[in-house]
Amino acid sequence: MTINEIVDHAVASGRNLLFEDEAGALLKAAGIPVNSCRVASDEDEAVQVAKETGFPVALKVRSRTVTHKTDAGGVRLGLADEEAVRLAYRGIMEKVRMIDPESQVTVQPMASPGVELLVGMTTDPQFGQVVAFGLGGTLVELFNDITYRQVPLLKKDATDMINSIKGSAVLKGYRGRPPVDINALTGIILKVSRLVEKEPRIKEIDLNPVFAYPQGMLAVDSRIVVCGNP
Amino acid sequence: MAGTGPVDLRPVFYPKRVAVFGVTNTPDRVGYNVLESILHGGFTGKVYPIHPRHEQVLGCKVYKSLEDVPEPVDLAVICLNQYATVKAVESCGRAGVKGVICNAGGYRETGDVGHDLEKCLIAAAEKYRLPMIGPNTLGMINNDGNFYSTFYPLKIPAGKVSIISQSGGIGLTTIHMAIDEGIGINKFIGVGNCSNLGFADCLDYLENDDSTAVIGVFIEGAADAGRFVRTAGRVARKKPVVVYKAGRLAEADYYTQTHTGSSAGSFQLYRDILHQHGVFTVNSASELVAACKALALQPLPGGNRVGILTHTAGPSVVMIDHLAPAGCVIPPLHEETVSRVKQIIGSDNPPVVLKNPLDAAGLGFSRPTYGGLAEAMLADDNVDLLLAVYCLHKTWELPAIELINAHKKYKKPLIVNFVGNWQGCRADQDFMQNAGVPLYTAPEKTAVAAAALVHYGMRRKGGNDRDD
Repeated sequence: MTINEIVDHAVASGRNLLFEDEAGALLKAAGIPVNSCRVASDEDEAVQVAKETGFPVALKVRSRTVTHKTDAGGVRLGLADEEAVRLAYRGIMEKVRMIDPESQVTVQPMASPGVELLVGMTTDPQFGQVVAFGLGGTLVELFNDITYRQVPLLKKDATDMINSIKGSAVLKGYRGRPPVDINALTGIILKVSRLVEKEPRIKEIDLNPVFAYPQGMLAVDSRIVVCGNP
Repeated sequence: MAGTGPVDLRPVFYPKRVAVFGVTNTPDRVGYNVLESILHGGFTGKVYPIHPRHEQVLGCKVYKSLEDVPEPVDLAVICLNQYATVKAVESCGRAGVKGVICNAGGYRETGDVGHDLEKCLIAAAEKYRLPMIGPNTLGMINNDGNFYSTFYPLKIPAGKVSIISQSGGIGLTTIHMAIDEGIGINKFIGVGNCSNLGFADCLDYLENDDSTAVIGVFIEGAADAGRFVRTAGRVARKKPVVVYKAGRLAEADYYTQTHTGSSAGSFQLYRDILHQHGVFTVNSASELVAACKALALQPLPGGNRVGILTHTAGPSVVMIDHLAPAGCVIPPLHEETVSRVKQIIGSDNPPVVLKNPLDAAGLGFSRPTYGGLAEAMLADDNVDLLLAVYCLHKTWELPAIELINAHKKYKKPLIVNFVGNWQGCRADQDFMQNAGVPLYTAPEKTAVAAAALVHYGMRRKGGNDRDD
């Protein structure tokens, strides 16, 4: 499906929040490297997909009503084998079926850890579309080391963002660690800007964390909010 | 401003005939003060005060209504309450007036009822494509046309700096600080609720206003911040724009809402996005005035390398604290400069720190020595602009001529920091600034002035400009 079609489909189904597999497909179509995310409708299919994906995997609930997946007990990480996947599947369903009997799961490979970054986009009532970048992961709220630019961004804006956060040194390699792939990072920031410029029905994007490696980047967790009226 | 195509704002800023609604004989009323402001300011056009029951105010004949005024007016200043203002704007539109200033408050800043009333006011202005300053504004001053229309009657030095302010109080703060700093104001625009003419419209006008060279902006919040920052970025390509954004904390939002009906928005978004568009921002009214002064007086530097000449170390330390985060560097001096400095000060003299900042210590008081050192530093290829610190002294005089001559000879920007009080340096300030060299009495102001020059110097070179 194209970016437009993915948004059309969500809007037509009355959803503002994309399923993570939809978000993944959309980001992939926009050229943003994103962790694979496949849907499984039952326990056997979850195992089958996990085998094809390769262990270890993560299982997450896929439901139009359960939107705070972790809080609802709908996320299980680091599942090493078939048995773990089966147990996790049953555990998730036990928690969420009461809320949404149509719940499915998504299966994702566990990505190897990198420097945790945040790349996002929000629609500000005063400035309109704004791209955000900063250190990601769980410390994001504590340090609030995030910088913003108005869409559309130029390459120099992305470079400036990368250089202007307080934690910029972390990206350039510290205490013997190699620097992260700045080119790839610049690319992701610019692609988010171009994506929302072309598709104004996208209201929010939250890629957190993005794992940054010495070569390449990978958006591990993605959240996209759309709205029928741009 | 709504509507298609730009509306000519020249009649608003350069009116030939002005009507003033709501003039009274009571000196504590806005109508009285606006009329006094216009008369006191030396307006050379015609003024038509309007009030249904008065015959004469401040020696002027008063007309019963706009219809009674014998000729068409360019601008109407409306000093009526919030309800009567709406009707007056409607009558101005019908009569073909080319612009209005609405002083009254009582609109969206007061809540839903006021907001509805403001919508009526906006509709009246838009119906006739009538440009409107305000409502909820101190007013407007055009010093280039001797037109003063604020309800605090003023007469201030004219110059090249124009100010757009959302607040009357900070507007007046800026005006009075500018008087203290010895700089002239070209135009002052109190945009108030920004209901029709907003920040971007005023920036658009000032961009092509030949008498304005530098624009200072005080903003609390704007509904159309996106357009404001884009416009500021574009205008700053042609003439420097300096922005002071207030409302840093969430708590301030309540007060901006009840002040000009605007949400303060995220302070960080403003800061980051103004930076994105290459606009210089400051953190106080005094920084706003300091930055505008240097930009109005000095040429832009060719780079970001700042030389500091002093005979007391502390001010240079304070300056570096401000300069480094603003992207300025304090470069080492050429060996040639160092030998020239040694030659000027001789060998059997008190200790001198032979680097940048150059601390001439006890020798720095001597005018010829100080002037020679300033020349040596300005001659250095590593230095793009020079900050010169000198202390007020009972015996020694500020080396004003020496510094002015050095500036003329090397054509590089020079900012003087006179460590003294306002009264003690006033004469020197006037003397130096008449020669185009800005003088400050606080190292923080000197540093922000230097940072502003460097910012726009780098931008001129494409360092922080945008391609779009």
